[in-house]
Amino acid sequence: MALPLPPGLTPPEIAFLCEMELVTVVPRQRLERLELLGGPLPPLNPPHRTALPLWLALLLKRQRRANILPPPWLSPHSLTAILDHETTHEQGFSPPPRLPPLPSQNTLPFSPPFLPSSTDNAAPDALPYHWLELGEMLLEAATDDFEDPDNVRKLLRGLREVRMAKLRQGVEVLDSEGGISMNGVGGMEVAEGRAFVTGVIDGLRKITVSREQQKKDKDGEQRENGYSGTAEDYDDDEMDMQ
Amino acid sequence: MANQQRLRFRQAHAPGATFLTYTPNGKKLITAGVDNFCRIFSTGSDDEPVTVDDVQENNTAIVAGNGFFIAGSEDGTVSKYSLETNKFEEILVRTSLPVRDVALSPDGNWIAVASEEIAVKVVNTKDMTQIQMLNDQTRAVKHVAFDSTGTRLALSCTDGSLYMYSLGSGPPEMIKKVDGMIKSLESTAEASSKVLWHPDGRAFATPTAGREIQVMSVSDWEKQRSFKTSHSQDITAAAWSPNGALLATTSSDLTLRLWDVKTQELLKTYDDMKATVLAMVWHPTENILSYTNNDGELYIHTDFVPTEHASLLAKSTQPAPFFHDPAEGRSGNATKQPTNGAELVLPERRARAGTPDSLDDLLGSDVMDDDAGDLQDFVVDDDNAGYAPALNGHGKRTNGHLPSLQSPKGKRRAYGSSFQPEIHEGFQPGSTPWRGNRRYLCVNLTGWVWTQSQEQTHHTVTVEFHDTEHHRRFHFTDPFRYDKACLNENGTLFSCQPSPGTPAMIYYRPHETWTTRTEWRTNLPTGETVTAIALSDSYIVATTSANYVRIYTLFGLPVRVYRQKASPAVTCAAWRDYVLTIGNGPVGGDGMCQLLYTIENVKRDEIYQCEDMVALTPNATLKSVFFSEEGDPYIYDSTGVLLTLMHWRTPGQARWVPMLDTRLLTRLASGNKTESYWPVAVANHSSGTPRFHCYILKGADKNPYWPQPVLSEFGFQIPLTSMSDKKAHDDVDEMDVSDDDDEDTGARRKSAAAQQTALEQSLILNSTLHAQLSSTLSHTRLTPHQKHRLTTLEVEIDKTLLQLLAQECLAGEDRGMKALEIVTLMRDANGKMLDLANKVATRYGREVLGEKIRELEERRLVGLDEEDEV
Repeated sequence: MALPLPPGLTPPEIAFLCEMELVTVVPRQRLERLELLGGPLPPLNPPHRTALPLWLALLLKRQRRANILPPPWLSPHSLTAILDHETTHEQGFSPPPRLPPLPSQNTLPFSPPFLPSSTDNAAPDALPYHWLELGEMLLEAATDDFEDPDNVRKLLRGLREVRMAKLRQGVEVLDSEGGISMNGVGGMEVAEGRAFVTGVIDGLRKITVSREQQKKDKDGEQRENGYSGTAEDYDDDEMDMQ
Repeated sequence: MANQQRLRFRQAHAPGATFLTYTPNGKKLITAGVDNFCRIFSTGSDDEPVTVDDVQENNTAIVAGNGFFIAGSEDGTVSKYSLETNKFEEILVRTSLPVRDVALSPDGNWIAVASEEIAVKVVNTKDMTQIQMLNDQTRAVKHVAFDSTGTRLALSCTDGSLYMYSLGSGPPEMIKKVDGMIKSLESTAEASSKVLWHPDGRAFATPTAGREIQVMSVSDWEKQRSFKTSHSQDITAAAWSPNGALLATTSSDLTLRLWDVKTQELLKTYDDMKATVLAMVWHPTENILSYTNNDGELYIHTDFVPTEHASLLAKSTQPAPFFHDPAEGRSGNATKQPTNGAELVLPERRARAGTPDSLDDLLGSDVMDDDAGDLQDFVVDDDNAGYAPALNGHGKRTNGHLPSLQSPKGKRRAYGSSFQPEIHEGFQPGSTPWRGNRRYLCVNLTGWVWTQSQEQTHHTVTVEFHDTEHHRRFHFTDPFRYDKACLNENGTLFSCQPSPGTPAMIYYRPHETWTTRTEWRTNLPTGETVTAIALSDSYIVATTSANYVRIYTLFGLPVRVYRQKASPAVTCAAWRDYVLTIGNGPVGGDGMCQLLYTIENVKRDEIYQCEDMVALTPNATLKSVFFSEEGDPYIYDSTGVLLTLMHWRTPGQARWVPMLDTRLLTRLASGNKTESYWPVAVANHSSGTPRFHCYILKGADKNPYWPQPVLSEFGFQIPLTSMSDKKAHDDVDEMDVSDDDDEDTGARRKSAAAQQTALEQSLILNSTLHAQLSSTLSHTRLTPHQKHRLTTLEVEIDKTLLQLLAQECLAGEDRGMKALEIVTLMRDANGKMLDLANKVATRYGREVLGEKIRELEERRLVGLDEEDEV
């Protein structure tokens, strides 16, 4: 009996992954350098800003040993600008942050979830991959470090609504040959939209399967009758074989 | 009662709300009431008033300019009347709902009209088609008031807030909403919430819900002193005297009170009112207060200020009652700003006073100043062109028509005998001036010390730390009123100024010790004040007004007292055994004293730099001076540049090197941010690179305030290229992504140029840091960590040079000369760098260059390269 879990990552799993993101904290207490399995942690020396993984930052924040600096894109001003962009541009999502220049050959290439996209020197005009879950977590744990938490919460909510609406709208064009650009869609949004989108595609597939079956039967009949299929039919056959 | 006899009461209008105004020259007084006429009284005459007919009924406001007056009525019209013909001229504005208040700008060109409508209209009095609407408020406005310059308009809204608008050349803009000052009143209420601009222009006052008159400063919107009026009912009218030295208030409890602004004390109470006074105005020059009540009566109260206080009225403009007047300056300030900030004039162009034995005195005042006004009004300023300006109290024309020449600070203000060098004011690094009743005494990376003044008698000092685990915040009541403080890991140092009877004092309070806390105080000789103090791990330094530098140990033992050569002292800083003092030196080319610094080692009794120059650009001032975490002196100047002192341990070798120009920061590149940086410290990041810690101040703020801003940090960036260049490079980067193949090579070349700039930046920065660190190495024992950093820096420099070399090789054979020069710069710490350089050259196929590098390598081996070529 398989686990009754939906396919893909669940929202709690996404949130867990998000805790690897680096955020900037202003420590309120000294802490020596820590050698952890996941890599060394820099020493904390108040009031020097330090980039820490989110899980540790939240832990320290709950113990009042640090203040978290919200990333620049989580300011009301930036969020308003992004929300404006989302509402004025019907098609597509606001672009993800630009990748830093490629590292030299001997270092590992890094991908969006592990870029310093949520530290204090992140780009203020783009939402990173983990924007939704990171914003929610920071607002929950570090409300007092925000200048205007209620406004930020409101704007995040607005952004989420707009983007989810776009994602759902995109499904309309999703049949066998259609597609939508998912550039800039965050991890949590993918997890949230997955059930719906896969459901729709599955439904569409079922509808088209019966139609294709009919077509294939017809083709088979025609072939039996000695009629050679057109090029298109041939393509279809090949796809079916795959 | 003499006063009673002189109090003339005139029935101006039918019983009902009545208002009045003086013309700017004070010769005429105009009243408006429920009747359909206005009355014009002449000052000092008992004649029957002139009646202006065809006025609307139920007037609610009246203002007068030169040659005209304007009345607003409940039927929604604001009409202009001429004072020459005493006739109706035109309707300036119509509102759909009753007019509640009208204000006239000081130049007489604009009126602001508040009505029951939400929007306030600002209309030109000469051209009523010029109209501006102010509609940021949520409800109707009860009162409007222009400030003395006419650039700010205050609206007292019925929602209980004040709305401040700036009326500049552009469209009007709301600059501030002030909550919690005024009571929320109905627009028809008798009680007043009117903004009273103090004549000095730096503050205003309003009646509050608690029946006080609360003063607020305009520069920072902080509450200042208040007049506890003790009226038993709501205040209905109040007015500053024309020079701002006195305040008159009245309320529905039928009393009229006169206050001294400086002390906020009650001078006199008049309780002979018969009805509530609704409007009250001072005569512009004479000792007369006129008021109208809601019974249609007008009182012209001559000799209103009692004779024992009448001298107050004769003074020039008095400052508004601040807690800590910013214009008063700090102690030892030789160049005082004039206290009447609104009217800065040259000394030789002050307002003309009456001369002794003038014509007026000889012939008596009647000749020039008769009531018929036939001589004076000979030239009638009918088009308001300004050739017949208003007369002042002495019958002379004011100098208001002359351009207000204001000598900018920092320019030579020296004419003939009155030459005075402009000295740099003393300051305590890391402190802020008073704002409201709070100020920071010291801000650094250990923590911050701030003080709050409590009702004149004492202050409350609070010391807070960034590291909340090691130290605990504390606060104490401070009867000495400490005005300077220093904080470090070991303790807090305070100093206070002398007050009558007690000399200046220095107080050191260690945080925690293994015995009982050994705090100590020491007094300075009588009359000596402290200009700056500094605290290090081993010494305490104080520079004083007597030009002494006093050095104590941490236990209060005086170890050295000497006179500072450069005087007066400006500031000082200390780090371990090193003491840096700064004083004013000889006068430089810009009329400012040049700043001279001295650095000495107290323990070794050795002077490293003696009376050397603090390099500042003309007209720039020093903002802060401090030692970095590693013990190098840094200064921050008013142009926003952070400089460090190189080779300062060798006498005569010291040199100021800019490490960061905050005007060139990339965050300012967009050009739409106005912010300034308030220096706090320079300390090493955990990665080992030093960083500049500062507070970012938004807008025109000069000093941090509460809530405390978050400390920001910036890496160093020696100013090499300007912001626009960097921006261009950024644009190129963006183009890279989308460009076609034709332009791709060009773009790539430009991006290579950007890379080159970055490499050059890193090269010069690392060499500077390396030089700094190695000079520290030659004088102190380095920690293993520092030694490690030194080698890292060396490797870093060589690596940067290699990268630069690779770029040159890539660029072409003709750049070989530059490439070779880069190779000669290599430090070659591990002996492999030249080899590597050779390899780079061969990889790009630059054989000749490779040859030259090998030659250089050989010469280095033999040791030929060290000497300078002759």
